[in-house]
Amino acid sequence: MKQFSYTLIISISHLFICYVDSFAASAEKSVIRVNTTMQAFNLIQPWEKGAASTRLGLGAVLPNNKVLVTAQMVTDATYIELEKPDSSEKTTAKVLTVDYEANLALLEPSNDKDFLSDREPFLLNEKLSPSDELEAWQFESNGTPVSTKITVSKAEVRKSFLDTSNFLQVQANGPVQYRSGSFTLPVAKNKKLAGLLVSYSSKDQISSILPTSIIKHFLNDIENGEYTGFPNLGIMYSQTLDEQFRQYLKLGKDDGGVFVSKVIEGASASGNLKSGDVILEINGHKIDSRGNYVDDVWGKLKFGNLVRGIPFTGDTIEMEIIRKGERMEVSFELIRRPTEDYLIDPYMFDRGPKFSIIGGLVFQELSVPFLKLFGNDWRTRAPIKLLMAHANPEMYEKKGNKKLVIMTRAIPTPATLGYERLSTLIVTKINGVPVKDIKDVHEASKSPIDGQHRIEFESYPKLIFLDASLSSRLNKALEQRIGVTQRLD
Amino acid sequence: MTLMNSKPMNLDIKQLFFHLSLSLFISYSLSAEEKKESIIEKKNSNYEAVVRIENSSLNPDYKTPWNSGRDSGGNGTGWLVAENKFLTNAHVVSNSRIIYIKKVGDAKPYRARIVHIAHDCDLAMLELEDPSAFEGVKPFDVGKLPQLDTKVKVIGYPIGGERISITSGVVSRIDFLSYSHTNVDLHLTVQIDAAINPGNSGGPVIQGGKVVGVAFQGYSGNIAQNTGYMIPPPVIKRFLKDVEDGNYDHYVDLSMSDFPLLNPSQRIALGLPNDGIGIMVSNVEEDGSAGGILKTGDVLLEIDGLTVKSNGLINYGGEDVNMNEIVERKFAGDVIDLKIWRNKQPMNTQVTLKRFMPYLIAARKYDEKPRYVMFAGLVFQPLDRNLMAAHNMKSLQVRYHFDSYVSSNIYKERPEVIVLTSILPDSINSYFNQFTQSIVDKVNGVKVKNLKDVHLALSKNDGDYIIINLLGSGRPIVIEEGKIEEAQKRIQTKYNVIKDHYLGPIE
Repeated sequence: MKQFSYTLIISISHLFICYVDSFAASAEKSVIRVNTTMQAFNLIQPWEKGAASTRLGLGAVLPNNKVLVTAQMVTDATYIELEKPDSSEKTTAKVLTVDYEANLALLEPSNDKDFLSDREPFLLNEKLSPSDELEAWQFESNGTPVSTKITVSKAEVRKSFLDTSNFLQVQANGPVQYRSGSFTLPVAKNKKLAGLLVSYSSKDQISSILPTSIIKHFLNDIENGEYTGFPNLGIMYSQTLDEQFRQYLKLGKDDGGVFVSKVIEGASASGNLKSGDVILEINGHKIDSRGNYVDDVWGKLKFGNLVRGIPFTGDTIEMEIIRKGERMEVSFELIRRPTEDYLIDPYMFDRGPKFSIIGGLVFQELSVPFLKLFGNDWRTRAPIKLLMAHANPEMYEKKGNKKLVIMTRAIPTPATLGYERLSTLIVTKINGVPVKDIKDVHEASKSPIDGQHRIEFESYPKLIFLDASLSSRLNKALEQRIGVTQRLD
Repeated sequence: MTLMNSKPMNLDIKQLFFHLSLSLFISYSLSAEEKKESIIEKKNSNYEAVVRIENSSLNPDYKTPWNSGRDSGGNGTGWLVAENKFLTNAHVVSNSRIIYIKKVGDAKPYRARIVHIAHDCDLAMLELEDPSAFEGVKPFDVGKLPQLDTKVKVIGYPIGGERISITSGVVSRIDFLSYSHTNVDLHLTVQIDAAINPGNSGGPVIQGGKVVGVAFQGYSGNIAQNTGYMIPPPVIKRFLKDVEDGNYDHYVDLSMSDFPLLNPSQRIALGLPNDGIGIMVSNVEEDGSAGGILKTGDVLLEIDGLTVKSNGLINYGGEDVNMNEIVERKFAGDVIDLKIWRNKQPMNTQVTLKRFMPYLIAARKYDEKPRYVMFAGLVFQPLDRNLMAAHNMKSLQVRYHFDSYVSSNIYKERPEVIVLTSILPDSINSYFNQFTQSIVDKVNGVKVKNLKDVHLALSKNDGDYIIINLLGSGRPIVIEEGKIEEAQKRIQTKYNVIKDHYLGPIE
């Protein structure tokens, strides 16, 4: 699947005002251009931001002066602009709520509260089903609306933006021609919003659409007060196709069932499911041996949709399981484990990486984006100890680590003489104090031992020292050069 | 000294070495250029004692460990060191099936056998089944470590022709470097600029009529020119001394890594005077020679009475050499005196030297039949470098266990790490493919510490199922006991697995 982002970034200067015939009235009144300037932080030099880039997309106008876009449209945005396609009138906008996992964001004009008053907000078309005809709305660069018809084929629970988050997505067939500024496209059914088109493969002419069921979940969550996000179950599971395995688990012929192979601490299943359980039913839906349930509309779907896609945090989930050969019912409250609670942040948007510099040694909290610096094949190229920590965070969580602090590199300074080649080392203690997160680095750096910082690593060279007064002088000099020497929050 | 845990930069260099003889065929085109030697040197030369060694080898295939392996061969050079005792490189005669020795000017091959082979220093001693052909040939004496910028000549049977070849050059550098044969061993090495080519391996390097080195490795021509390496007399003599009792006992090791004291803060924090003396102890392997004696943050000040400088060098016999040179000359059970700095004061201690076997996980192994257990189509093998190379291991668990076997003390919990390397597809294992390249944790509830544990636990059949737990996977492998016997026979026949396990020479 080719993401729209690869091809559709076209300079704003090509857009100019012109008058258009009203071809699909609600298209030009309900769809709005969203122009964002994005600038992510540099993970190697965390005190810097990288080069700015522009992303042009379309948003769906919603009631109450709001605009819905994908999260991908506004991640790391430094400047967001709404532009009326018909008049090219512009205003700045801000993000009200963003959910990177579901890939949705809600915007509103920053100052001009009446900016959208001449628009016609979308209503949500709640039911989508196979062979529905949808319209994808775009604009020619001169502002003329273009409508493309696509036909819904099926739905799948799969990743869209983050490779760790799976949500229901609808697939539709039919050619969609690119127009400028079409990073994401609202799609409509009977002039009501049916979803956001997030990716399109020109080879197969297949569009992936984030459907209204997920959008509605997102909007309802916002309306209910503080946004809590989609719940997560927090298990790893295996299929039970192997007949020998099924017999061993005492599964009957009519049973499906998935085998719980790992329960992650801190998410919904923690304390409620055990490794070795077999999940047979969720909220009355039978789970087959591949991990699917039968959805009334879409047929077989991964059971994840029953956990993430439909219920809200705080809802109770009911399951029929087999534990140690015994059939039983369990029910528990669904929660969402906040990403901040992960030992290694799975993603990092709209904030800089946390870091602290002592005399030229750069300390950072390990994150998946950092691991991804090792290239597309980071899973084989990144340092093995870091990959192992990522795959088995409990190795460190058991020791009380909140985060995994690594010394990413040593900027050559008089204080780091002899340490220039050290990099990506897991830090265990500084000045005798165990390091559990980046704040500990900063705190510990206040109490050097006899004027020297004592820094301990998990592996070779295990132990190094830094001159404390030289380090603080160098930190001041570095601050002159790079602005900041730490970001702890 | 073993390479593991030492500075990573060493690792980059060693991969560039190539072996000089093995697996590189000899082209038969005649070389037009003849090396001219001075008449005096020629008189001292003892060409009859320099022999061509032809080895037919059988290289085990770790992917199909039940097969006998691939036939291969190569040739190198050897030289007479004592009556009916020829010295050559271990890599010339590794994995050997048949060895022949050819004498200069004599087309007849003579059958030879290995007396001792030392893979850790790439030396081997051969003897002839019938020594009569070499009666009256004078063995070479082993000389001293040659000085820098002195002339040497290399004799051997390198690529470029059939007959003996002589090249000459000077001693360019004396250093402590990696021996590429095992990939984990570092010893004293002498670099010379005489042309050394495939086939020279094992051949003598001569100065003043005595052997001052054994040619053994070099760089490929597209990396560095005129850069050949020889094994110097201290290493040769140590080998000869080690085998005097009829056994080769290998090198011993302090089993620790060190970190230089280049940053002034290190000296202040450790309370050391600023005199450029001492090197910091970093990792100490608990089960190694220095385990329980040295600890992280100690500083080595003296080794057997010789001052250790902050870059790890000592002055030995007028030359600055790596402090490990002291350990290099010692044997298992020898004691080494250390003066260390701990808690801001000096103290004396002693370390009794021994081998540290866990380092060997990273060593290339030779002359060993691969060990395995094949059960219901699942192939279990102990983790080592040969296995990593053969199976192109991608699994994080396996790579982590290989990489951190010593540094994370994995060897203490699992002396052998057993990997489910592959599956011979059959109806009994049709859903098991996801489990390849996993590490076996338990079999039928018994924790697996070596290959024998796997074999024993799998042979016990007191339940309805065989349960195999894999590290990092909550989902066990479950096999119905009743189906195994038949499946085992079927798989052995189908895949031509002659024997379903090999646990090692002592069973």
